[in-house]
Amino acid sequence: MEQGTIERDIHVNASPEVVFEVVSQPEHMREWWPDDARFESVAGAPGELVWRNADTGETKTVALAVVEVDPPRRFSFRWCFTEPDRSGQALLVTFDLIPDGTGTQIRMTETGFRELGWEIAVLEAQYQDHENGWDHYMPRLSAYVARLVATR
Amino acid sequence: MSTAVDDELWSAIGDPIRRTMIDLLLSDGPGTATSLSRRLPVTRQAVSKHLAVLDRVGLIHAESAGRERHYQVDEAQLARAVAQLSAVGSTWDARLRRIKRIAEAIERSRITKEGE
Repeated sequence: MEQGTIERDIHVNASPEVVFEVVSQPEHMREWWPDDARFESVAGAPGELVWRNADTGETKTVALAVVEVDPPRRFSFRWCFTEPDRSGQALLVTFDLIPDGTGTQIRMTETGFRELGWEIAVLEAQYQDHENGWDHYMPRLSAYVARLVATR
Repeated sequence: MSTAVDDELWSAIGDPIRRTMIDLLLSDGPGTATSLSRRLPVTRQAVSKHLAVLDRVGLIHAESAGRERHYQVDEAQLARAVAQLSAVGSTWDARLRRIKRIAEAIERSRITKEGE
């Protein structure tokens, strides 16, 4: 890990336009990460990510701020702010989309761990996907995509 | 182990010079501040300071042999640090796999729709 940065590359068999929608729209994000995502996909917009405990019904809300929206090339946002009003230090997540044949190469970087320390890294890892386990997830995804296509 | 120690461990390997020092100690075997400073673009004094940081979090330990302290990597502690860092990365692996599946499912359904 270079300077407290997580960097990941993944190839996706979908156009940069489709991938951009999936990474940058809250209605898609809540399918791949939190239980709920609320933000306008506009530079500078404030937003929230919400996790819900299925057993207790308790919710945990984390502030987010959109940084850059450059379709279909780059989407970035800050989260895990040290101050309650979306200021101070934060983690910065950037998705860079690079056309790759008929698909797209996603380069995801998350920086700020070195400044924020190990404590925030542990916290970050706790904000896991809203569903763990492929068995539960796959039927949800199929239903979701069918719904999405039907509304187009 | 407490969060404070984990924080220190994190920042200890967050520095590129210190990571290079660990690499050198792993590839060349035990070394001293003098031997490491010959291989690095920093002074012997700076190397000593970095060695002290690594020693404090248990990533290396010293043996006094002759005039200088000989340092070697504590492989158990290094493995522990590496495992901690990769735990954070693995959460992103899972998120990105989902992004991939969703985007590919949308792409496939669009192509199918266009073909109808």
